[in-house]
Amino acid sequence: MRASSARPIAFVAFGVALLLAGSWWGLAKAPGEVFMGDVQRIMYVHVPTAWNAMLALTFAFVCALCFLFTNAWKWDNRLEAGMEMGVVLSLLLCMQGSIWAKPTWGVWWDWDPRLTTTAVMVFAFGGILALRAFVDDPVKRAVWSSVACIVAFVDVPIVYFSVKWWNSLHQAQSTPQTVSSAFHWPLRINAFGILFLWIGLVGLRARVAALRRRGEMAPPLTQKRPATGRAPITGGAV
Amino acid sequence: MSGVIEGGWEFVIAAYTVSALLLGGYATSVFLRFKKEKARATNEVSG
Amino acid sequence: MNALFAAFRKDLLLQWRGRTQMVAIFAFGAAALLLFSFAIGPDSSALREHAAGFLWLGLLLASTLSLAESFECEMEEQALEGLLLLPASTRALYYGKAIANWAQLALLGMALVPVMVVLYDAGTLRLLSLLAVILLGTAGLSAPGTLYAAMTSQTRARQTLLPLLLFPLVVPVLLAAVKATSLVILGDPMEQYRPWITLLGAFAVIHWSIGGLLFGRVVED
Repeated sequence: MRASSARPIAFVAFGVALLLAGSWWGLAKAPGEVFMGDVQRIMYVHVPTAWNAMLALTFAFVCALCFLFTNAWKWDNRLEAGMEMGVVLSLLLCMQGSIWAKPTWGVWWDWDPRLTTTAVMVFAFGGILALRAFVDDPVKRAVWSSVACIVAFVDVPIVYFSVKWWNSLHQAQSTPQTVSSAFHWPLRINAFGILFLWIGLVGLRARVAALRRRGEMAPPLTQKRPATGRAPITGGAV
Repeated sequence: MSGVIEGGWEFVIAAYTVSALLLGGYATSVFLRFKKEKARATNEVSG
Repeated sequence: MNALFAAFRKDLLLQWRGRTQMVAIFAFGAAALLLFSFAIGPDSSALREHAAGFLWLGLLLASTLSLAESFECEMEEQALEGLLLLPASTRALYYGKAIANWAQLALLGMALVPVMVVLYDAGTLRLLSLLAVILLGTAGLSAPGTLYAAMTSQTRARQTLLPLLLFPLVVPVLLAAVKATSLVILGDPMEQYRPWITLLGAFAVIHWSIGGLLFGRVVED
């Protein structure tokens, strides 16, 4: 297991730098949009978050498949990290979408299929994280969360289509998600910013998972030395 | 949808602030957990 | 195939032996439907309009009880390990149990329909269409429900985890079943029933397939 955290931290730092640059460009330099005025600027952080949330959860899905095929712990570490990151990004997406909806549609939630599917995803993958917390056996925990992740991921397109259909019968309004070409740069920069940020964070978080499991599976210390605080050598690292 | 939405800067600021807080908060939590697990692991090996 | 029938018979027998529990689950579902009407108020047109939603919400809530219960006996005396030692594939075990659960949920659904008719004045003559919705909808609940019940019954917080995991997953079933049932009760001038039924069918096909593939990993030691 790689103990060095240098590379993930570098990724995170680079990601943050890109985000600051992209956000400054989108907030200060880019012109306001024709119909939506300045509220459109939320898109410079909302669209990149959407792409990366989906990417992170797809990454988790791939890790789940890899774990079931290889039974290697590193895939479970990455699965845990990927799911957690995906839930955070999806939650953020819902909050951003809600903040965008209020001035645009006048309501905090307008049942847009993309956002509604994201909300369902937060609950679905958040539930799998909860499952992990209640399973003590590391092997079962890994297998079950991989299975649950696969089922939940396969379900995402079904949820999306059913909500889209269900909603289309009620609402004629279309959500203008298209961004005209003048605004591509802040979008791209922010997208890569969040990408590097989450890759770095997943790298760190996977290391946390690995360290935690080592502690979990470590054999118990044979003797306790209360006074000196130095435990005897148990013979054999984990 | 009709006309131009005037102003709305408070929503833009809110969106960016929420993003920064959530991402920053999560990043901090990951860093802190990493530090903690690292420290615990080195303690077990050496101590 | 024999193993599947044997597993299905076993689970059906278990359900028959525990039929008092089934009556209790039905009572729970009926009580839920009553509570929904209190939440809305005595406005009969509003109740009729939302009757389909209440039926399926009640059925969904009751399903968590019946699905969890389907694995109760496997947890006692290490019965699950015993089952796995038998020369039957885990796939047969899964489908046997999932079909039995499906039958139980479908029965529950059909039993709740008269309650819905009475409480919300939501009757219909299109009984076959209604039956189709109930059969396909409960099929969609049973496949992932059986898979997740197998997991959660072995954990500490089993009662909370099963609904927590299952509900987000079966959102399409809820949407489609409520819509289809609503069309059956309130009328379907634009012939929208068929696409919703197709969605329910597709959901069931997908989840019965992957459930069978993944169940083996879930119960292995």
